[in-house]
Amino acid sequence: MSTTPALTRSQTVRRVKWRGGLVAWAFALPALVFYVWFLVAPAFQSLVFSFTDWDGLSPTYSLVGLKNYVLMLTDPIVHTAVRNNLVWTGVTITVPVIQGLLLAVLLNGHVYGKSLIRTIFYTPAVLPLVSVGSIWGWLYNPQYGAINEVLRAIGLGGLAQPWLGQDATALAAVIVPAIWLRTGFPMLLYLAALQGIPKELYEAATVDGANRWKQFWNITMPGLVQAHLIVVALSLIDSFKVFDLIYVMTYGGPGSTTQVIGTYMYANVFQYYRAGYGMALAVSITIVAIIVSIPYVRSQTRRDDR
Amino acid sequence: MSATSVEKRATRVVAARKKRAGVVAITVVLGIAAIAWLSPLALLLITALRPLSDYIANGALTWPKQFTIGNFAQAWDVGNFAATYRNSFIITIVKVPLGVLFASLLAYAIAKLRLPGRNIVMFSVFLGLTVPIYIAILPNFVMLRQLGLTDSLAGLVGPYLAFGISFEVLVLQSFFRGIPDEIIEAARVDGASAARIFFQIVLPLSTPALVTVAILDGVATWNEFLMALIILNSNNNKTIPVGLLNFQGQFANNTTSLAAGILIAVVPILLAYTFLQRWIVGGLTAGATKG
Repeated sequence: MSTTPALTRSQTVRRVKWRGGLVAWAFALPALVFYVWFLVAPAFQSLVFSFTDWDGLSPTYSLVGLKNYVLMLTDPIVHTAVRNNLVWTGVTITVPVIQGLLLAVLLNGHVYGKSLIRTIFYTPAVLPLVSVGSIWGWLYNPQYGAINEVLRAIGLGGLAQPWLGQDATALAAVIVPAIWLRTGFPMLLYLAALQGIPKELYEAATVDGANRWKQFWNITMPGLVQAHLIVVALSLIDSFKVFDLIYVMTYGGPGSTTQVIGTYMYANVFQYYRAGYGMALAVSITIVAIIVSIPYVRSQTRRDDR
Repeated sequence: MSATSVEKRATRVVAARKKRAGVVAITVVLGIAAIAWLSPLALLLITALRPLSDYIANGALTWPKQFTIGNFAQAWDVGNFAATYRNSFIITIVKVPLGVLFASLLAYAIAKLRLPGRNIVMFSVFLGLTVPIYIAILPNFVMLRQLGLTDSLAGLVGPYLAFGISFEVLVLQSFFRGIPDEIIEAARVDGASAARIFFQIVLPLSTPALVTVAILDGVATWNEFLMALIILNSNNNKTIPVGLLNFQGQFANNTTSLAAGILIAVVPILLAYTFLQRWIVGGLTAGATKG
């Protein structure tokens, strides 16, 4: 090698590098082909459809510019859906995160049957959402449902009502199962993160006379900053995807009381044959979801540069 | 023994007893909460095991006067679970290994092969985690109809692969990154090709991560609803979630059989979760604890 001129060596390096890049792309290709074919390309096609008056069936359609988006602004059902999406997002993040944190802190101390309790709280999260919807639809049944039965049994029969069937309670009633199934995930993440906080910090604080409450705010919470960010980011991402539960339990009803963007989009595309309009709804919420989650995605990309 | 040391010991015993009382109290509180959490499923099981007449006469909250497994037989037949089970099983068995293989190839290219344009690829793939899949359903439906793949399990394979890749790559590339470069370098010096290094060294070293990803992807595939709802029409081609929806409509007034049907639909997932939860929990928390 010592006789090889410098120029040729750099050429060789470049060639090796180029071949290495080719090999890397050969590894990357199968997954990327499917990813682009069935997710990226369709997403951009949806964007194109959102500028048309397509009904979803006819072979032809014409471009209508931003008409669908303008229409959304004055559609009262869109207003309801946006409000419901916001309520859904707010409640299904705060309540499960606080409950999950509380459970994790309690489970992190000395408790009997720790792993059994942990298992139970995460169980609803693995069930198909359709079955979760079916279970709760049954619990809410006005006549035979267990929830009204409980109310009657404890003498509050007057409060028994068709929870899913009336405007006043329908939204709250579809949110409760979401809380049921989403409490387990933050619990698991917080439990894992709590293991990372050194025990000595608590011992030192106890010696200094800090009580449990002070320890929680001055040691536990600062130690969980990373976990908080990830839990909130993932919950936020998840909350935009709401569809299955509402589709199964109320189909957006009664009227349009529990309509969210996902279900209203579905109704437009597959029921009202207003595919262009439905795609405009899908594109809008996707753009919001992407913008909101970019910090998380970048943190995942950057974190691994280290 | 001096008086003070006896006193000290007494305080220590009292403190220990106090501590144990605290542990018991917390356990009781958590236990009650856990029972409440599980009560919908427990109620479902009890209801599925009683005759409809008993349920209607005595209500959901009573202990059954009579037990039966007839509801399960009825639900199994009417719900067409023989077909939906088979279909969910086939799609999971076909999709998950393919998905994990493709995702691990891409993850390895990102983590160890200095993929040109790596950051852009990573960013675009991770962005897929955040996109609601209903952005892609209509174009997918149109494309699959043109290919003659609607109302067929084969039509689900492509979209399911695409939907699962982001999460699989996220977990796997972070695991691959932890494999020491020296191992790979040593194999390369010995003349092993990139493919050989990947299949004979990297994959065997990554079994825990591969199993975790496969299980989580299996659960997601088994549970997927929206795409299956759009693509599959005839009863014999439906997967469990779509079949269950159908069944729910038919059995609105036959509560005990409905409960049995819901249980039939969730039992495989519950069993998988119970036996494989070590992997599930590890995989879910892996991303969050590093960082």
